[in-house]
Amino acid sequence: MQNMMNDNSMLRMRGIHKRFGELEVLKGIDFSVAKGDVLAIIGPSGSGKSTMLRCINRLEEIDAGTIEIKGRVLVQNNADGVAEYVSEVESREILSCTGMVFQQFNLFPHMTVMQNLLEAPVQVKKRPAEEVRPEAEELLRKVGLFEKRDCYPGRLSGGQQQRVAIARALAMKPDIMLFDEPTSALDPELTGEVLKTMRELAAEHMTMVVVTHEMAFAREAANHVMFMADGVIVEQGRPEEFFAHPVQERTIAFLKNML
Amino acid sequence: MLMDNLLHTIVLMLEGTQVTLEIFCITLVLALPTGLLAALGRISSLKPVSLLMEFYVWIMRGTPLMLQLLFVYFALPLVGIKLPDIAAALLAFVLNYAAYFAEIFRAGIQSISRGQYEAAKTLGMTYPQTMRRIIIPQMIRHVLPPISNETINLVKDTSLIYILAMNDLLRVARTIVQREFDMTPFVIAGVFYLAMTFVLTWAFKKLEAHYAKYDE
Repeated sequence: MQNMMNDNSMLRMRGIHKRFGELEVLKGIDFSVAKGDVLAIIGPSGSGKSTMLRCINRLEEIDAGTIEIKGRVLVQNNADGVAEYVSEVESREILSCTGMVFQQFNLFPHMTVMQNLLEAPVQVKKRPAEEVRPEAEELLRKVGLFEKRDCYPGRLSGGQQQRVAIARALAMKPDIMLFDEPTSALDPELTGEVLKTMRELAAEHMTMVVVTHEMAFAREAANHVMFMADGVIVEQGRPEEFFAHPVQERTIAFLKNML
Repeated sequence: MLMDNLLHTIVLMLEGTQVTLEIFCITLVLALPTGLLAALGRISSLKPVSLLMEFYVWIMRGTPLMLQLLFVYFALPLVGIKLPDIAAALLAFVLNYAAYFAEIFRAGIQSISRGQYEAAKTLGMTYPQTMRRIIIPQMIRHVLPPISNETINLVKDTSLIYILAMNDLLRVARTIVQREFDMTPFVIAGVFYLAMTFVLTWAFKKLEAHYAKYDE
């Protein structure tokens, strides 16, 4: 975040506007993420934080603004001030360095855990399965689910499924990982194992953008916290500052409610 | 009925069964992929394609199969399209059944959650890859029961070619009944149809068990 200018920049969002029909959900969002940053985005539901995250990898399309990923323009305003995306092919290429983890896991239920991990490297990158398999096994060991490699996702707990989903995204070797409320669909006793996996990832200096309700994670694992409400960034800063001395009234009210 | 006579009847009816099975198998093999293509066309974002498919399904489901058979068989030759008997029957069957299959496939595809498309997209998969690897394999599990239903209907619907003077199982039975004034062939025909649908029911049960190997 401090480092705005150079090739360290992983993600840059400028003047992002997005509306769903009459409702304007993003009202001019600006921020950058540098390599190795862990950005936690917090805020009440309906604040636009998930929509903002989904705009990064084009699951939603913005109406105006600029998005750059690793210095490459994904979308920018044309002469009329309307967002214009690059071609489908180029967009796919630019976004190939991003990975995403969803609230609902979205594992492929008809494939085993191992097949879930192999699918994209083999189908998208056209790598031979035998070459990918050792990497996939390594990732599964890392998230502690190697023994479950031949299970179908339906047989796993929510926390295990989410860890598989993280491993599946990592199998594509992304440079930036997006997390959309990764623990919100989990029973409280299962959030810990997922947060642990995410902390380990942060410790390895993976660049991460995490939309979350987990204040402890934001405080301890993130190096930058952003509070969103009503489609704007209300306040942001380093976690120690942000949580100790929030300035804006809405931030103070929100944090009081969360704690 | 003498033993000899009965045996002769059964042999004749087995020949009829062969015609029935031919129509059934070829229709099924052609109508399933055609139906899938029509379903993909129906959900396509290309408006003309999806409208065309909607129109096709509307015509095929909105008119009797018997009428469609008669049309292909008698009306097409008037505009210069003369198909061999069996091909004419098959054309009508395939077009009709593909329309029903298309609706089943469409419902099946639309029952797959949006999260599956999004997960595939964020992993870099293209739309054709997503359909082929992620959506259609899951859809098959959902549509097996209704497809099984339609397939069993098809066995029985093949008897409609009786009006086109093709010697399928039912027509053979009726011919013998009219000649001998003996109702046994109708009973035998019933048993033959039951045997065919029994095998199908069993096969679909196996398929469903195979696809039930994972939980959703």
